[in-house]
This record gives sequence, structure tokens and C-alpha cells, in this order.
Amino acid sequence: MKQPFVTRRIVSHALQYLILIVAALAVIYPVWSAFNISMMSDVEIGAYPPRLIPSAIRLENFQRALQQAPLMRYLTNSVVQSLLVMVGQLITACLAAYAFAFIDFKGRNFFFLVFLSTMMIPWEATIIPNYLTIQRLGWTDTFQGLAVPFMATGFGTFLLRQFFLKIPRELQDAATIDGCNSLRFLLTIVLPLARPALGTLAVYSFLQTYNQYLWPLLITNDPNMRTVQIGIALLQDEERLMINTVMAGVTMILLPTLTLFVVSNRQLIRGLTAGAVKG
Amino acid sequence: MKKTMYLIITVLTLVGMLLAACAPTAEPTEAPEVAVTTAPPAAAAPTITPIPTSTIAPPQNPNATKITFWHSMGGDLGGKAIPLMANEFNASQQDCFVEPIFQGSYDDALNKLKAGLQSMDTPAVMQLYDIGTRLMVDLKVITPVQDFIDKEGYDVSDLEPNVLAYYTVDGKQVSMPFNSSTPMLYYNKDMFREAGLDPEKPPRTFAEVQDYARKLTKKDADGKVVVSGISISIYGWFFEQLLAVSGGYYVDNNNGRDALATKATFNSPEGVAVLEWWKAMSDEGLMGNYGRKNADVRTAFYAEQTAMFIDSTAVLRGAVDTIGGKFEMGTAFLPRPNEEAYQTSGTVIGGGSLWIINNRPQEEQDCGWEFIKFQASPKEQAYWHTMSGYFPIVKAAYDEPLATEWRAQYPQFATAVDQLHEAPNNRVTNGGLIGVFPSARQLIETAIEEVLAGKATPQEALDNAATAVTQAIEEYNISMGLE
Repeated sequence: MKQPFVTRRIVSHALQYLILIVAALAVIYPVWSAFNISMMSDVEIGAYPPRLIPSAIRLENFQRALQQAPLMRYLTNSVVQSLLVMVGQLITACLAAYAFAFIDFKGRNFFFLVFLSTMMIPWEATIIPNYLTIQRLGWTDTFQGLAVPFMATGFGTFLLRQFFLKIPRELQDAATIDGCNSLRFLLTIVLPLARPALGTLAVYSFLQTYNQYLWPLLITNDPNMRTVQIGIALLQDEERLMINTVMAGVTMILLPTLTLFVVSNRQLIRGLTAGAVKG
Repeated sequence: MKKTMYLIITVLTLVGMLLAACAPTAEPTEAPEVAVTTAPPAAAAPTITPIPTSTIAPPQNPNATKITFWHSMGGDLGGKAIPLMANEFNASQQDCFVEPIFQGSYDDALNKLKAGLQSMDTPAVMQLYDIGTRLMVDLKVITPVQDFIDKEGYDVSDLEPNVLAYYTVDGKQVSMPFNSSTPMLYYNKDMFREAGLDPEKPPRTFAEVQDYARKLTKKDADGKVVVSGISISIYGWFFEQLLAVSGGYYVDNNNGRDALATKATFNSPEGVAVLEWWKAMSDEGLMGNYGRKNADVRTAFYAEQTAMFIDSTAVLRGAVDTIGGKFEMGTAFLPRPNEEAYQTSGTVIGGGSLWIINNRPQEEQDCGWEFIKFQASPKEQAYWHTMSGYFPIVKAAYDEPLATEWRAQYPQFATAVDQLHEAPNNRVTNGGLIGVFPSARQLIETAIEEVLAGKATPQEALDNAATAVTQAIEEYNISMGLE
């Protein structure tokens, strides 16, 4: 009776790993492929059957990409912009979500719905008004201009509120009885518990901002203030698409997102266990 | 309960991450007023990494009039050629200083221009695609270069008349051609030899192309096509060109050149014949179908998967560089329905031109004109020609040492130039002039796909597309107040 159970467990484990491996390959393949293509020569990218691995470690494409677009400068700009938006969104979303989850005030549901409704407004509809506002503030070609319009988020507020609602109100009562004010309760009790949600929002807002194309294109003209996605567009010549150069650029701009993933991955997992509350 | 909540959040998050990955524009934003109150102080600028070769040298004269030039050239053209030309212009005189700025694709740049009109975030000079010509005029945002030509009596006699004609609206030169191209036939000479064809005698007519393609197509033992005889990407521009060399008009009123276009006319017998030829080669298995992307067809040609293909002259430099010594490449005129057509018609100018934007101060517009003249000078055009395959818009450029050396080394470049010079300058080769060209192109592409898939006959598909384009033209004309 014991034997089949063990076998079944091994089979189910093997199956799980198989699925995970396939999924992992599907995720890794494009990145791996981009990395390989970035080191292929101009002739190799046109070879048939297509080559999977470059014949040598070549760095010319990276050099060429850096010559065609100041990618390192763009990279710094994108990281600064994305971090600003990320921090901004975390602060505003935490405060708003706390109010919606823990403070009883008149019209709470109404205001929450107003927040949610902003998620229904297509981004395209707000881009021109935002652009004109930033123009009038004289914020073109600045980091404020790049980041401020994205610092408040309906989605993030919703995400965090739902998470905060899971935290027992008894914790708040106990803290209040011990003389803890709202801000302290938020900082010392709620936030540590909400780590997975915060991590998720952080990653989401960072990637969202990092991938922006139209907004930075609209409000910047100074090449010193432009961001990576414009850099990638600059590498793409309609008439003469050098996919190896483009991939060299892509490989370089992938670094911050990969780093973020590695760092936040640990946070997300730790948060899941550290946040466990009895009951 | 907790579990379901967590599940919902997880799913939402995953969806969000997916959105973040696929659609960078899906971010809902708050009103800026809300955001402003929570803004941290502006971040200090991080240390400046040195920008390599593509940098623009600072002005020598601090009082020079500064202008911006918006362009849509990526790769080496945008990264090296344009900055180099701008630096040369800046060094050539003291009064004007031009800064080139890449603004994404032509469509991106056009969107940015429209958004910037209210707030004066506009350039003095802007590069835009051929098919935006009517739109730029109707938007009333430009000063025709004719005004500058007239004011200083600038001599246009050395400029290519066909190229100028494309950018002439209501008898006025509205913009100055810059990157001009036409489509031509590229072929693999090694494969011609293998198939027993004379590599110096490329096909000239539709029937010859089909015949050559039959000989060039290679099939394996199972009858599967290994090498296609020819590949043409499903691109509206190629249809326009094949229609033009057949002597067909795209729209009424002689391509909208004698009066405002009101109706699409590409569903004429000429247009139908083009698609019938296209479909016949596809049905016979002579043609590789790589979809709408030109780059995919080019890659197939470079990888020796197709013996011939049609593409812009502008890809020539890239083709030469990519092929290296792998095989010998030849170029030929775009095929015509018959030999007589070579006398009566020709290709239409494609590419882009330079516009002067009228809401800039007069001195900026004047500097813009100086820059445009500089870009049109023989030396710059010769450099531009060899960097890309766009042909020079000024005849004297052919005599520049750079251009003559280049043509001696790569005779393929001569085809582009000869094709231009042999084309008569008439209403057919001037090309259609409508404000809704981008959408018209898409409708044509859908029509070609329907024909190739056997869902509609060439006549039906083109009739449907023509009805839709006519409606779009009517709506455009009304919305622009042209009627």
C-alpha cells in the first residue's frame, strides 16, 4: 500500500518539475536568444538554417549599439525615472490604501470607487492633458516631468487595500490601546506584513515605467534626458535592420530589470512567510 | 475567504505584470494636480556618461540662432550620418546652429508634432514620409519652401524634376526632398547562373519575372519549395509602385494632382492585373509569402531562401553590407507589365522630405531653409547616397568623387539612379496625393492578403478596398474643410 503512494508522489513531483522546466525554458529562451544574437556577426544573422549560437564571443555589436545611441545615459535616466515612480507609487498607494482599509470616514466607499474608476480611463486619453500640464510647468526635459504624472496609482491603491483588508482589525485595536498612532501602526505593523504586495507593486510600477515609450518621447528633446525605449527605437533602421545590434542594445537594457527581478524575488518569497499571522 | 482573496490578488498582479510586459501604455494615471503634491524634490542629475561619436559639437558662436531638426532615421543613418551632416552644417557657417533630434518613427514624430503645436514644442525643420505630404499641407503647419525659393531666387534646375514634382502641391514646392527612394528588383546572380539564366539579363516584364521565377524555384523530392523564385512582402507601397509602372492612377483627378482627389481608382484593370500576376505566382508556388514585413523578405534573400525580391533602393547599402561576399547580388528596374510601359511610365518617388514648420520665429525658419539647402547640396547628397541607397536629389551629386568611386565599386547603385532618370515625369509617376495614405495602404494590404488566401478575386478585393478608401478620402476632405 505504501509503495504505490511513493511512486505516485515521485510521478507527481516529476510532472511538476517537468512543467516548471518547460515554463522556465519558455521564459528564458527569448532572453537567451537575444543574448546569443547580440554576439553574431552580420553574416551569421542571415544564415540558413538559423544559427542558435554565435561562432565567437563578439563585442562589436555592443560597440556599434553604443555608437548609434547613448544607451548608458538612457539607461541611467530610465532607472532614475523608474525608481522615482516606484517610490512615489509606493508612498501614495500605501497612504491611500491605509485610509481605505483602516480608517472609517464618510464616503469611504464612494472615494474608493472614484479611485477605482481611474483604472477605466485609457492612458491615451490623459496623455495630451498631462503633456500640456507638464509643458506649462516648464518640466519638459526633467526627471519631474518624466516621473510625476505616474506617481499616484489607482491600481496600486486597490492592490494594497485588498491586502491590508486581510490584516485583522484586532491588530489595529491592540496597537491603538497601546498608544500607537495611525502612522506608526502603518509603518511598524502593516507594512512589514504587506511585503509581498509592496514587492509586487514595486516590480509592477518599475517595469511599467521602464517600458514607457511615448511619454518620454513626447516630453523630452534633450538627448541627455531620453530613456532606453527611445534608444532601442533609435537602433532600428527600417531599411537596414541589424538585428544583432538591436539585440546588443536590448541585452544591455535588460540588466536593470533582471537585477530588480533577482532582488525582489527574494523579497516576495520572504514576505510570504514572514507575513504569516496566527488565525 | 483569505485564500480566494489572495488568489484574486495574485491573478490581478499576474495580469498586471503581463500588461506591463506587453503594453507599456496601459498605465492609468491620476490627474497631475494630485501627483504634484506628493512629488519629492527633483532628483539630482546622475553623472554624465560620455556620449560616443553621435554627439553634436557645441556652437562656436553663442549668439547663433538655434534650431531643432526632427528626424526619424534609426541605426547608422540616425546615429552617425545625420549628426555628422549637422556638425558639418554648423561648422560651415556662424549664424545658425542645428540640433538633430530623433523622434521615433514617422508616425511617432507626426503625433509629437500635433501634440506640440499648442505649446510651441515644434522643430524648425522636420523630416516626414512621402505619404504625409497632403496631410502636412492641410494641417496648415508649414511654410512652403517655395516661399524661400522665390525670395532668394534659389536655382532648382539642378534638382531632380521627378523628385521635386512629388512634393509639389497646387503648383508650389511645399517641402524639400531629402531621402528619396524607389523600389527595384534585387536578385541573386549565383542562383541565376545555377538555373542557366544570364545574370546580366534580369527580367523586365511581369511575364518574364514569372518565367524566371519558375526556373529559379527549387523543390525537394517531396515537392516542398526549398528556394522561392521571388518574394514580395505584402506592402501597400509595392502595389502603388506596380500600379504606377502599369500606368494606373491611384486616385481620381489625375492622382489628386490637378484637383483635390475625391475617389480611389486603383481598382482599375491595371491594378487588377498587378494582383492577378501576384496571385498567379503565389498559386504556382513560385513566390515565398513572408507576410507584411519587408525585413523578413530581406532576411530570406540574405539567407538564400529566395532568388529575387522587391524592395526600396534605400535598403541597398544594408544588403551590400549584410551579404558580404556570400553571393553576388544584382539590381534591376522594377518589372513592368510589358516593354512598352518602360516608355510611358515609371516608379513614384518614395522616402521622405524636409518641412519648415510655420509657428517658429522667422529667423529660425530662415536658418531651417539654410540647413535644408545644405542638406540638398551635392556633397551632402553624395554622402547620404552612399550611406543608404537613397538616391541624390541633385544631379551634381553624381559627379562627386565619393559617389563615382562608390558606383564603380558597387554598380548596383546605378540602377536606382537610372530608373529615376528614365521615368517620364507625368501624373502617374508623380504619385497619388491624399491625406489618408497610411490607412489606404493598410486597406490595400488587407486586399492583397485576401487575394493570396483565395478569399476574394483581385477585382472584388480591390473594389472593396477602393470603396473604403473613397469613404476615408471623403471624410478627410470634409474634416479638413476642403470641400
